[in-house]
Amino acid sequence: MLRMALPTGRVLKEAQRVLVAAGLEPAEDLFATRKLTVASRCGRVEYLLVKPVDAPLYVEQGVAECGISGKDTLMELGSDLLEPLDLGFARCRMVVAGKARLERKGDNLLSPVRIASKYPRVATNYFRKKGIPATVFKLSGSVEIGAVLGLSHYIVDIVETGTTLRENGLVVIEEIADCSARLVVNRAAYYARLPEVRALLQDLARATGATP
Amino acid sequence: MADRPSQFSFPPGTELVFGPQAQRRTRIDAALAAVIHGWGFDEIILPGFDSEQTFAGIDGLYGLVDREGNNLVLRADFTLLASKALAMELRREPRQIRATYEGRVYRFQPTGHGHRVEQTQRGLEWVNARGPVYDAACLMMARECLRACGINDAVIVVGHAGFVNAVLGEAGRAERRLLEALDHKNPSRIKVVAERIGLPQENIGLLETLPLLTGGHEVLRHAASLATTEPARRALADLEAIHRLVSECGGNDLLFDLGEVRQFDYYSGAMFKVYAPGVGEELGGGGRYDRLYDQFGLDIAAVGFGFNIARLAEAAPRDADMENQRQAVDAASPGALKAALAQRASGAGVAITGGA
Repeated sequence: MLRMALPTGRVLKEAQRVLVAAGLEPAEDLFATRKLTVASRCGRVEYLLVKPVDAPLYVEQGVAECGISGKDTLMELGSDLLEPLDLGFARCRMVVAGKARLERKGDNLLSPVRIASKYPRVATNYFRKKGIPATVFKLSGSVEIGAVLGLSHYIVDIVETGTTLRENGLVVIEEIADCSARLVVNRAAYYARLPEVRALLQDLARATGATP
Repeated sequence: MADRPSQFSFPPGTELVFGPQAQRRTRIDAALAAVIHGWGFDEIILPGFDSEQTFAGIDGLYGLVDREGNNLVLRADFTLLASKALAMELRREPRQIRATYEGRVYRFQPTGHGHRVEQTQRGLEWVNARGPVYDAACLMMARECLRACGINDAVIVVGHAGFVNAVLGEAGRAERRLLEALDHKNPSRIKVVAERIGLPQENIGLLETLPLLTGGHEVLRHAASLATTEPARRALADLEAIHRLVSECGGNDLLFDLGEVRQFDYYSGAMFKVYAPGVGEELGGGGRYDRLYDQFGLDIAAVGFGFNIARLAEAAPRDADMENQRQAVDAASPGALKAALAQRASGAGVAITGGA
């Protein structure tokens, strides 16, 4: 039996739909149960319900052989995992956003640009690669306020439709990456459990219409 | 003086092992050493630090400055260090060298992932070792090492630097994002990056297939039907020869992974990694590096492999552990030392305790 780390939260609903379509239906309703592990009806998979931000770690450490995780979380954690399948749901973009016309009044233009983000690692790496000095603040939510009220010049965050940005008078300045839910697999488990992992990949690929 | 909690803590990533677990590690190393010595290898003790240029190309070096202001780094890789040490010897007298080492390497690891910065390895260097018989011998030795530790469920995964190089071509090899995508076995990303850097369409098709070229011997045949270039065919013929030799010796359990790119810095031919169920990271690995001695003006074919002792200890069955047997002798009892010596003379373990 393969153990799969599933993120509770916004991704779970879509994940459950895909698992059912792949013939890997959980034996209990993932939203109703208070258990932390639930087997699939077919007995091939055991689901481990964990916080989205923890899912990659369980897989990286080999506690779960595989898992589902948003690309945004994977980018932020920098986990060393195989990522063989784009599941296609929970699509969003990781972007740099800010006010359309930014006045850095009183600023020395060579001083670091101030960035607020729930994704400090992504933000730091992005600006470092571009060669732009940046000071990154980690926020836990409502990142937009950072840019609106002047805590930061820009924010780095995920956007689905862009409504929240628009309502707060912010625009997308640059795109960093396309994000979606990914199937991640532990490196050792990929080889040590190859036939099972293969079969899982094929079933999920079929259910999502992706090529495995 | 009041205790400061920080007084007792070590930096993250350092290794601190005591008691049965440490003994287990020592036994594992002894088991590996016995196998490797049995194959005619001699011990080599290598420097713990060296100049930075020895480890050029390795990420996460730990630097130090000596009193004369020289920049030095802690040992980050055994093979690079050994090649430098052995090159001197080989320039004096060309011959085959079989050397085995044990010790720690140091590489920075980001915190929060549970990776260790300090890692203890036991491995070997087989220098002037041309031909698939040496590759196959390494695989058989690695298998014997695993058996000696009681690990019977590990898988050995074989790749080939020559094959990946041929498929990637010059342009692909230079593209870090493409290597990353291959390393993550992420076909959609491979396609996107390969198209963005303008690789030829037929290469892109093959690159996308690379993550699927993992499995038993059938993978080599599948790859042969896709490979068009001469270097790619040569690499596959090399793997066929190794597979044949290993099969003849009853080792028909090899897995192949032609999409393996991770190890590829100095490897030039067949390369392998060892994984065990339940241990998230590889237990060890190795391969062929025929171009490594070029930098010393030597044309020398070499192979080698190493195991991570802590991960072997994690994978090895627990019942192999035995508490050290020791008879307690009370330090306060008259003639305690004599009693202890008598125990020792009879060959038994002893521990003087208490008293003081």
